[in-house]
Amino acid sequence: MTTVMSKPVSAPGKSIIEKLNFFTALALGALSAIVVWRLALQFLPQDTEVRLFTREDKITLLSMTAWFVGFMTGIGALVGPFRWLMGKDLTHEENMFLAGKDMGVKRYFRYTTDHKVVGIQYLVITMLIFGIGGILAMLIRTNLGTPEGGWIHPQAYNSIVGTHGIVMIVGTIIMVTGPFGNFIMPIMIGARDMAFPRLNALSFWLIVAAAVPLLWGQFLGGISTGWTAYNPLASQAPLGMDGYIMFICIFAISTMVAGANITTTVVKMRAKGMTWNRTPIFIYGVVASVALALPAFPVFFLSQVLSAMDRALDTSFYNTAGGGSGWLYENLFWIMGHPEVYVILIPAVAALMEMAPVFTRNPLFSFNVAIMGIAGISGLSILVWAHHMYMSGWAPLLNTPFMLTTELISIPTGMLFLVLVGTLWRGRLWMTMPTMSIFALLWNFMIGGITGIYLSDVPADAFLHGSMYVTAHFHYTLMGAGLTGALAALVYWFPAMTGRMFDKKLSWISFWMVQIGFNIAFIGMFTVGLAGQPRRVEAYASTFNTGNMITTGGAYLIMTGMLVLLYGVISSWRSGVIAPKNPWQAKTLEWTVGYPVPLENFDVLPVVTSDPYGYGKAKS
Amino acid sequence: MSEQMTPQTPQWWKKPDVKKTAILWAICTVVIGYGGAQFNIRNIVSPASLTMSGVIDLMQIFTWASAPVAGLVAAICLTVLTSKRHYGDNPPADADHEIANSPRVVGLWIVVSSVLCLFALVAGFIVIQKDSAELLDSDAIQLNVTGQQWLWSIDYPNGARSEDVYLPVNKPVVFHVTSVDVKHSFWIVQMGIKIDANPGYTTETAVTPNKIGVFDLRCAELCGLLHAYMQTKVHVVSQADYDAWLNNHAAIEKGA
Repeated sequence: MTTVMSKPVSAPGKSIIEKLNFFTALALGALSAIVVWRLALQFLPQDTEVRLFTREDKITLLSMTAWFVGFMTGIGALVGPFRWLMGKDLTHEENMFLAGKDMGVKRYFRYTTDHKVVGIQYLVITMLIFGIGGILAMLIRTNLGTPEGGWIHPQAYNSIVGTHGIVMIVGTIIMVTGPFGNFIMPIMIGARDMAFPRLNALSFWLIVAAAVPLLWGQFLGGISTGWTAYNPLASQAPLGMDGYIMFICIFAISTMVAGANITTTVVKMRAKGMTWNRTPIFIYGVVASVALALPAFPVFFLSQVLSAMDRALDTSFYNTAGGGSGWLYENLFWIMGHPEVYVILIPAVAALMEMAPVFTRNPLFSFNVAIMGIAGISGLSILVWAHHMYMSGWAPLLNTPFMLTTELISIPTGMLFLVLVGTLWRGRLWMTMPTMSIFALLWNFMIGGITGIYLSDVPADAFLHGSMYVTAHFHYTLMGAGLTGALAALVYWFPAMTGRMFDKKLSWISFWMVQIGFNIAFIGMFTVGLAGQPRRVEAYASTFNTGNMITTGGAYLIMTGMLVLLYGVISSWRSGVIAPKNPWQAKTLEWTVGYPVPLENFDVLPVVTSDPYGYGKAKS
Repeated sequence: MSEQMTPQTPQWWKKPDVKKTAILWAICTVVIGYGGAQFNIRNIVSPASLTMSGVIDLMQIFTWASAPVAGLVAAICLTVLTSKRHYGDNPPADADHEIANSPRVVGLWIVVSSVLCLFALVAGFIVIQKDSAELLDSDAIQLNVTGQQWLWSIDYPNGARSEDVYLPVNKPVVFHVTSVDVKHSFWIVQMGIKIDANPGYTTETAVTPNKIGVFDLRCAELCGLLHAYMQTKVHVVSQADYDAWLNNHAAIEKGA
């Protein structure tokens, strides 16, 4: 790879770092993939037994790995470690270059280490992901407009459902900790950058690298298993499954890297005087989220490696006939899968907790309870995974203990509600889109929470599991609560990230369209779930038609609202009202640096002397 | 919050916003409890077994038990939303709030939510206990169910085999469920039972149908291309009709 790069394309003396960018990465990734694909095609031995796909799986996985290595090399991820292995480190100029000093737009297409650049990159890719996931959702809903399904082939439909699922899960995982955890968080704690700036760039570019195998898989038969990719169904799925496996493995690395980086930053780099009592609650939310990902995602990674081995190397980790078990996969998957929903939810709720004092001019009610709530949810969430397997028959005797841990989560979740309503109580309500988002979150999360209690109950789950009711429930929590918090965070931190105010009118229009559409869509989905419609079906009994039509109608309203929001983002970013410094009159540090934020945020590192929620006339 | 700061502040329960919230709380609790319960009962399938009736009862109990909590949150939100709101580009003056914490409120909240949680657990355990009794019933009919892509087959004790399910009314049935290819999930919708069909393992679930009629068996786990069509009917008939069908069907099976 170095031979490709060392061709004298530009002036001598220009170091290799300066030549690498997104386009060299694409080129090198594609080149490596093609070379390895040809070589594998040529030299891999034919299968001795007649078994579908094994050789093809090997070729696909090898080519995808080659893409991954090529892309990461081409973007410049290996320059630092390589230099370090040779006993040198990057020079100061090179580090400044990497940080994107005086680089303009080009720095967004490079391996740039500045946390603010990474934050904007995350924001754009999150919107892109939601765009793709949203289009897939609209395809699903349109197909379900009629009972016969029909115009999408079942194979394609299953793949659309699976891709929608995994794309949205990834989008929601990064939607708060990505843009705001990277751009805002370091400024909020009074740091000059993240603890490991190069790891920060790495975590972002890994997501870009991961996206390609997923896209690639769509052309190899797609992901016909749903986002859970249960085995043994996954082992008989077409080659597209290998795209899913590669995607998850790379994304898991990205999440682990980001988790280690953010956690270290918060623990080690808070400003002087920012004791744990004075650390904003949003920081707690972000750390809880990424710290939860640290034990969860290695297991996800492992589950997919075993899946790849079953497919390509004929092992039988998940094949009962060969001594394995599909239940092993389910356990591994949900050991990641349940903490992961709180990875999504906690930072979104914490962002709204951060905004609640600002928009009510009231101190945050019971800071300690907020932390207890976040910690309680995080702690319990790693002990509840088997409630996804009540009906799997894996261990019926364990249903009751898992029911206990699951229902216990309602106690710390209740604490989060208490903190929010306590802060609202007797506040001076400043009506903005983020303010109303707090109420929207309380409404949606209440419905998501109560339906969650039904589902946590084993006998009720025996009826509800695997039905549309479950789908509606987790959309209420992840979209109704999670996405609502993320959109509010976007409007709230928009001035800090772009220097312009988010168009007020557009934020209101999109808010009401999305919230009303959302409630129509998923109340409709609850009705068909209660009536007995299974999940992930492309056709259904005609009795379910009314509920499905309601859901489809609601989905179109959500789509329109999201398009309005997208227009709002673009138009406000380009030509919105220039934001004053600290437009919300908040007391946290990210509003002290102005816009544009200087390269290392602070000339003199700040010293924190008061709590960030000192609103209210009589300060406590 | 619009109250005047009189030299002597009234006791907390006499403050107008507290009174307003209390009244709203009562109203919201009833609306949410009744509305939620009606939503459930109007949409859920009509039960064909005591198991399913138990599921519906549990959901109604949970709805009513959570209604006061949801009602309180709704009441506080409504009080806040209907008090003076500030529009504009600059923030309003700071609130008059003096307390950033209240150990009494926090304590009460935690105790109440723990009690509700315990209540939900115990209610669930009681129903689990009832449901699992049928599994151990020695008089029960034992049926073997096999899922495959994309149909179900049912084996009866006398050697009959069918794709539809025939059951006598008011007699416990134990289903031994397995699969020959990938995971499926055996779901008799109106009877409120479900268990996954796993290749290489046999799982059990049991029910006593208590209504004559035709019900739905659907696959509840994505199992590939035609998952949506992997469904069939469950016929619950009288004991006499069941015996007749069984003998007839066994004869057909042997003849064929």
